[in-house]
Amino acid sequence: MTDKEDQATRFAREAFASTEKMLKATQLFAKTRDDEISVGVTPKKLVTRRDKVELFHYEPLTERKVSTPVLVAYGLVGRYTMADLQPDRSLVRSLLNKGLDLWLIDWGQPGRNERWLTIDDYVDDYIDAAVDRIRKETGRDRVSLLGICEGGVFTTCYAALYPEKVRNLVITITPIDFHADVNDKAAHHGFINLWTRSLDPADIDKLVETYGVLPGEFMSSVFSMMTPMRSLTKYNVDLIDVIDDEDKFMNFLRMEKWLADRPHHPGEAAKQWLKELYQDNRLIDGSFELSGRKVDLKSITAPVLNVFALDDHIIPPDCSRALGTKVGSSDYTEIPLPGGHVGLFVSSKSQGKLSQSIADWLAARD
Amino acid sequence: MTDKPPTDKATAPIGDWTGLWRSMVDTSRLMTQAWTGSVAPFMLGRASERAGEVNDLSAAIERMTQGPQLADVWDFDRKLALAFAAWIDMRTRLANFNAIASAPWSEASRRFADSMAKTKLADSGPPDWRKLFAKWAEISNEELIKNQRTDGFLEAQKELLHAALEYRSRQNDISDAISTLFDLPSRRDLDEITRQLTELRREVRALRREKGQAQP
Repeated sequence: MTDKEDQATRFAREAFASTEKMLKATQLFAKTRDDEISVGVTPKKLVTRRDKVELFHYEPLTERKVSTPVLVAYGLVGRYTMADLQPDRSLVRSLLNKGLDLWLIDWGQPGRNERWLTIDDYVDDYIDAAVDRIRKETGRDRVSLLGICEGGVFTTCYAALYPEKVRNLVITITPIDFHADVNDKAAHHGFINLWTRSLDPADIDKLVETYGVLPGEFMSSVFSMMTPMRSLTKYNVDLIDVIDDEDKFMNFLRMEKWLADRPHHPGEAAKQWLKELYQDNRLIDGSFELSGRKVDLKSITAPVLNVFALDDHIIPPDCSRALGTKVGSSDYTEIPLPGGHVGLFVSSKSQGKLSQSIADWLAARD
Repeated sequence: MTDKPPTDKATAPIGDWTGLWRSMVDTSRLMTQAWTGSVAPFMLGRASERAGEVNDLSAAIERMTQGPQLADVWDFDRKLALAFAAWIDMRTRLANFNAIASAPWSEASRRFADSMAKTKLADSGPPDWRKLFAKWAEISNEELIKNQRTDGFLEAQKELLHAALEYRSRQNDISDAISTLFDLPSRRDLDEITRQLTELRREVRALRREKGQAQP
């Protein structure tokens, strides 16, 4: 057989194998039912519900080793289930296994009815009410806060406005300086910062006026645009790599389920998020106001742990790192971890490091 | 209109309105079909070749609808025409955006071809297609991201957003008019109710704070 024939044979064999895998992927999709793909399943008890906001208490998985309760707050751009995607990739489950007392505030699925809710309402009302309820239930004076992404901004604001109720503040992948992306040399980092600054404030007003919300689908399309080739190949070529491994395939579907579950962002809160923070960068310069009070980062006196991902394309690391020079607390720790925005929570590599770092840090300040 | 409902003196106006409404919907549907199926694609195709310019057809409809408002006629038709003009404008902006968004593919192809030309074949023959695909994807990703950060891309995207929001806003005007016609609350009415409710909640929260009561 000549070289050319060898190459042709090899090409034909590879093409056939890939086609076979694509066929297998189609069959797997056809036989998998959505209710077989579960996310956010770590057992928890509903404590209270008001409007669409629910406060949950996670059931302990081991003996309690850290007595101060920890309230987990995700943002409004996605769902908390990213922190509890599957049993072996769950920040929540890992922390419970390390003896933490975990509580969760879930914003539910805001829609047009929540159009007028502002960040003031989320911080001054819902988070404050949740903190008071936890204090009442546990008999503790103070609560530790664990904020994720936009939820990290909410908890940071809360810690600045209500320092007397906060024992520790842990923030993960949280933007503090919304313009620090300009220092980031990686071209794939910080497109949302750039895109938001390219809009006129009136564009954002018109978007909210028209839809009543910042539509979840709209934000999903912006996120997809940030990883253009992955968005084009994840349902075809990339599937070839996961189709022979059922665990990998189910991991892929769980991630898809989380991505699909993107709620609408309440309209007025979205205006604050995009105009006052992303465009005007008011949190870092101390001019951001909630319920008539300026959020002064120097007022944060609780110990602070700031965890960010070094290859975070959505929140560039410098945007998070900026808190270090602004916070009032003398006990400030930064933990940069390898990985991306979502990978920090769901990749098998970072899982252990993230939960261990948080648990150790909280245990030392209980 | 052949399926006019049975009428008596009390229900005749409702029947007439229903008939009129159905007639308007049918006419609108037929107009839309005619435009989207034949003339519009051709005209929009030409319009997209003049990227960045204001579409003449859209501008003409806009001018037509900016005429004097009449008390009893034309208002609903005006709303339909405005939505149609906005749709045309959005399609034009979309074509402009697509032209800019797809520009990096040719540069990606050129870079990929260069990369392949420099690759020396190993003893085992050419690399498998997955490696080639991965290289192509890596180059394309770089080019697409580089393009996204250009002023031209951001401007085209902003203009598309403007046009899409204008179209949606005019659709909302139509749905509000329909709601009013059938005595149903419109989106604006519901927005107003939720605004009042949210403000009421804030007042209750402030009162609770004044009295030293915890939030529920």
